[in-house]
Amino acid sequence: MLEQLLIFTRGGLILWTCKELGNALKGSPIDALIRSCLLEEHSGDYYFNYDAAGASYTLKWTFHNDLGLIFVAIYQRILHLLYVDDLLFMVKREFSELYHPKRTYYEDFGDIFRQLQKEAEARAEEMRKSKQQTKPVESLTKKEGQSANKKKGVLLAGKEKVSSKDNASEGNHINGHKLENRNSNGHELGTKTTHADVKKSVPESEAFDVNKLQTLRFKVGKKTETVSKAPKVEQTKKTTKKNRVWDDSPSESKLDFTDPMDGKGTEAVVMADQGESMMDREEIVSSDSEIDNNEDESGKPDNKKRGWFSSMFQSIVGKTVLEKSDLEPALKALKDRLMTKNVAEEIAGKLCESVAASLEGKKLGSFTRISLTVQAAMEEALLRILTPKRSVDILREVHAAKEQGKPYVVVFVGVNGVGKSTNLAKVAYWLLQHNISVMMAACDTFRSGAVEQLRTHACRLQIPIFEKGYEKDPAVVAKEAIQEASRNHSDVVLVDTAGRMQDNEPLMRALSKLINLNNPDLVLFVGEALVGNDAVDQLSKFNQKLADLSTSSSATLIDGILLTKFDTIDDKVGAALSMVYISGAPVMFVGCGQSYTDLKKLNVKSIVKTLLK
Amino acid sequence: MEQWLNQVFITQEVYVALAVLFFTSVLFLLFRLFRRTKSNTIVLAGLSGSGKTVLFYQDGSSHQGTVTSMDPNEGSFVLHSETSKKGKIKPVHVVDVPGHSRLRPKLDEFLSQAAGLVFVVDALDFLPNCRAAAEYLYDILTKASVVNKRIPVLILCNKTDKVTAHSKDFIRKQLEKEIDKLRTSRNAVSEADISNEFTLGVSGQSFMFSHCVNKVTVGESSGMTGEISQVEQFIREHVKS
Repeated sequence: MLEQLLIFTRGGLILWTCKELGNALKGSPIDALIRSCLLEEHSGDYYFNYDAAGASYTLKWTFHNDLGLIFVAIYQRILHLLYVDDLLFMVKREFSELYHPKRTYYEDFGDIFRQLQKEAEARAEEMRKSKQQTKPVESLTKKEGQSANKKKGVLLAGKEKVSSKDNASEGNHINGHKLENRNSNGHELGTKTTHADVKKSVPESEAFDVNKLQTLRFKVGKKTETVSKAPKVEQTKKTTKKNRVWDDSPSESKLDFTDPMDGKGTEAVVMADQGESMMDREEIVSSDSEIDNNEDESGKPDNKKRGWFSSMFQSIVGKTVLEKSDLEPALKALKDRLMTKNVAEEIAGKLCESVAASLEGKKLGSFTRISLTVQAAMEEALLRILTPKRSVDILREVHAAKEQGKPYVVVFVGVNGVGKSTNLAKVAYWLLQHNISVMMAACDTFRSGAVEQLRTHACRLQIPIFEKGYEKDPAVVAKEAIQEASRNHSDVVLVDTAGRMQDNEPLMRALSKLINLNNPDLVLFVGEALVGNDAVDQLSKFNQKLADLSTSSSATLIDGILLTKFDTIDDKVGAALSMVYISGAPVMFVGCGQSYTDLKKLNVKSIVKTLLK
Repeated sequence: MEQWLNQVFITQEVYVALAVLFFTSVLFLLFRLFRRTKSNTIVLAGLSGSGKTVLFYQDGSSHQGTVTSMDPNEGSFVLHSETSKKGKIKPVHVVDVPGHSRLRPKLDEFLSQAAGLVFVVDALDFLPNCRAAAEYLYDILTKASVVNKRIPVLILCNKTDKVTAHSKDFIRKQLEKEIDKLRTSRNAVSEADISNEFTLGVSGQSFMFSHCVNKVTVGESSGMTGEISQVEQFIREHVKS
């Protein structure tokens, strides 16, 4: 049974709610829907799940874009009501006839609604009964598919048993998860029954899985290797290499330019003031030029010629109602354009669906082409996504924490090799320029050279560093670092962590332990701008692990994104969009080089312009 | 001979008609140009959940509640207190801009034609949102369009019908303190860091609303019970009728 059905305008006024379904809704699901789904451009999704204390609801919605109305149906998640989509469609149709912009009172709709609801329920019952009758026929074909899945599971499980020792269960879990995502059946892959008779052709996805499995195995193997190697190196004495002399020319002078440093590193070159960090420099934005229409027209001349005259005619008359089929070509062109700009494929698809959902049924204004309308809608959507939801004013938050007498803790997380330590130093430099005392905490206790790297930065910037060497528990190191910071009155603590792959379960667990134990004020995900489709996977898995393994009721998720290596991409800036869309966190900093001053803010308008060029 | 005369006549008339048309259109355009400088738009802004949409729909008809707005609401109303006045009453054009942080850029579109701005603050749930409200207010007060045109601002403490709502003086003092802190943290940086185009207040003294170039006043109201007399007064003052 439906919990509630609401009709409201885009401006926020509720026009009608069903009076009979009078149960008060727990929590505020509608506001949550608007804030976290519709305004985040997830309107292309089919449903939205909302969990409040004591109830879990599923919400489904539909738009009437021409009149600016939104219809939302709420029901309990445990009930799988099939008639909701149908009902929403009928309600939309009936209500649009009643609707008048000035009217805010629609009591007479109640009767119509009751009737529609009965009809929809009856139809759903019919469909269910007919489904039950055809089920025995269908189950045969379904069984084929089921056995194919099990076959795949067996093949992979077999390969796995040969390879890694203790990560068998973990690998299985990962592969099972992956295959589940690909197949809509979602059958469990736990059973290891052998179905040797069914020999289906191996799909492409399996080869991909095997590759990933091998790299996973390789990584796991490598990790155990390096851990065991580290103590050994110190024991054996390495024979020094002699320079090879090729001919009788006199031996060249030493080519080693490293500074002679003693253990403490006090004689290292002190970082002189390198000038203003680029964070503070005003970015000169070129004036808004017209959206380039020439590309559109030069693109596909043959296709366009036929449709050109009719579209021109329609644009002048301007009364056509936009249908999904009309939007298809324009949206496809936009999606391709976004993908050439390095936006992840999944994200581009979802965005296009969301824009389609908001434009369907709208009346085309006069003197506008469909492609222009779609482009304007997409531009607005992109602007909305990239505008930060929370304040990116770190300095204000640092000051607030200073007043309370606690240090402001920032944790840098990310996968391997994205530039965490380098950008940590850049952020420290920027903060120092604003007279804030910074302390670094070296919680990367795994990678060789990580602590020395941070030590060098600390010497050059003349800031204290808290380190405990290698092979220590990072969570405990971080805790002690924060205590030390509050003792010597540092305003900010920047915590560097080891890079880790998002699939690596024990490392993700260690990360969540660090975050749970220390409760940082800001969790910055460091991602490189060169990443492609993997950005989606990285961020969603990081967030998911942080949410799953958190001990408190409100999980600390990723609060901000630091985009690095921005100077290496010219205009393929799509990674920023993918990351922001999938996590909802704003981009706080952009790293655009390797020196201390190369840290910028994200200029939303220029990114949107570049994406749509 | 007569035909020729007729033709001349006709062409002369046509010329006269054209000239008249031309003059009237020029006059009309000039009129429109002059009329535009006196705008009658009032913009309602504030954080999400402060009660702007409820205030917007105060033209008497009952409604069943509101949700977070996704689009601005625009409309022209005749104020309550003036429905009894005789003679021609000019309706006021009111715009309710959504308060959600992702929809902030929409405010800029309407500020260019605003004659006054009402910044709605939730008096009931004030302290948790104090910082966010102060930041938004600071951003508005330092925008070029607000400072150059000296748009008057009314800080409206909404939901005062509830018992636990704070008083307007308390809210004013809290906002002044927060904006003062924002001033120091944002002026320690060069202006290019956050896109504030102007600085507020007098340096050296703690910030007060009387330091602003444009007129800032504080008022109380209650959207749900219809107690909006102070808003109407503000509108009357600043929108020429």
